[in-house]
Amino acid sequence: MTPDSPPEILIDGSPPSFREYCLELWKFREVAKMLIRRDLIVRFRQTYFGLAWLLFKPLILMAVMSFAFGFLAGFDKNHSIPYPLIIFCGVIPWYFFSNAVPDGMNSLLGHMHIIQKTYFPRAIIPCAAVAVDAIEFLVAWLLFALGCLWFGYLPGWQIVFFPLFCLQLLVLCTAVSLWLAVANVKLRDIGNLVPFLLMSGFFLTPAGYTIARIPEPWKLLYALNPLVGIIEGLRWSLLRGMDGFPETPVLLSLAVTLTIGLAATRHFLAIEASLADLA
Amino acid sequence: MEKIVVDVETLGKRYALSHQQRTDSIKSWLLSAVNRAIANGPKPNVEEFWAIRGVSFQVHRGECRALVGKNGSGKSTLLKILSRIIPPTEGRVRIRGRIASLLEVGTGFHPELTGRENIFLNAAMLGCAEREAKRQFDAIVDFSGVERFLDTPVKRYSNGMYVRLAYAVSAHVSADMLVIDEVLAVGDHDFQRKCMEHLKAGLSSGRSAIIVSHDLSLVRELATHVTWLQNGRIVESAPIESDILQRYSG
Repeated sequence: MTPDSPPEILIDGSPPSFREYCLELWKFREVAKMLIRRDLIVRFRQTYFGLAWLLFKPLILMAVMSFAFGFLAGFDKNHSIPYPLIIFCGVIPWYFFSNAVPDGMNSLLGHMHIIQKTYFPRAIIPCAAVAVDAIEFLVAWLLFALGCLWFGYLPGWQIVFFPLFCLQLLVLCTAVSLWLAVANVKLRDIGNLVPFLLMSGFFLTPAGYTIARIPEPWKLLYALNPLVGIIEGLRWSLLRGMDGFPETPVLLSLAVTLTIGLAATRHFLAIEASLADLA
Repeated sequence: MEKIVVDVETLGKRYALSHQQRTDSIKSWLLSAVNRAIANGPKPNVEEFWAIRGVSFQVHRGECRALVGKNGSGKSTLLKILSRIIPPTEGRVRIRGRIASLLEVGTGFHPELTGRENIFLNAAMLGCAEREAKRQFDAIVDFSGVERFLDTPVKRYSNGMYVRLAYAVSAHVSADMLVIDEVLAVGDHDFQRKCMEHLKAGLSSGRSAIIVSHDLSLVRELATHVTWLQNGRIVESAPIESDILQRYSG
């Protein structure tokens, strides 16, 4: 073989190793770019308000939750921090998670016509779906920044940890999506079950309230929900440490995220080649 | 010795056919489920089916191999394995160089996107970098003849415009090897002629191709070799000069 001869592709039906798969993902990064671009274009084409929708949705959600939890339920009495800011730190991640998981989950089924006709690493599809929501998620933090200006409140040094919690949330959303996306192709029940679970999960996630409302004996069990550690961590990093660093939830959340991440990756690698046969 | 581009060795693909079982009552359904769980053997109502088996051939540089056979003979399964859409159950394929699969025209085309946007999306799906798509852009637009409508969403295209644009993208993806499934039957007569000439030019410049077609005159015009499949097995594999097509159609 001459040095410039193209690499050989071997097709023998054996699943790829993690390293090989990562290289393959990199090779096909253009597809991811195009899918993300397509989804962003399609989402805002023929809309009057266009990109403003990115800010509208979390803003309205925050207003409703401030009303429901802060005003109606009277949760906002104990803090010097403006309650809308506390809510923002919970709503923005929850909004991302509750959009990204169904989007990622349905992405493989929704792209079956493409999966049956052309090859590229299939993980690109759910990852691109999550990435589109992740862009919305990042833009939504502008609202938080505006809120800070409005209330004349500035975050402290803890803000340097903000990107880490965002990264963990991204990993969690991607892992859950990869897993559910494959499961949904095999068993369509998943598609019915997940929206219901998410609706229930909303009340088990400290989006509209804080973990301080949870009675002490239940806290450990409650914190098994990986979003608890992430949201409380974000509050700690953006609200000058709030009630002190939430060690237990953050560590539990990291452990759960890593476990789901590893399991989802393994599962996806084993199944991905035969996705076209499963549908 | 000519360079081998694709080497297919004793390829096989097995499917499990599950036959509907009579379940008159919950009781009988439960019993059979328990039976299966305890016995742990092969499910009684599942039958093995080999879509293809023991298929071997090679494609050299500049060759065009046509797969012929009746519906259900395994042609599409073979193309799907070569295109890495489904994995083989046994055997293997070695491919040297870049392979582009045209199993349909316009894979990934999105109706809301404009012609221009779809060109880049489709090119990426076919494994073509944006840089390369940009370089080929004018040629693609020229070939398709939809220049005036480039910034119109393709949902407003006529059928003819849609397939012409879609085919133009696939035709301009640079690859050492093309895998084509009946997609030459697009557009009107003139456009088909144009596609044919384009494909021939590619072959004579050293590309290779594997095509599936029921149109024997097309096979006669393009192919250098023919593989005749029946029920997933090769009946005969020979150069086109050996009158294999007469034996197949006769």
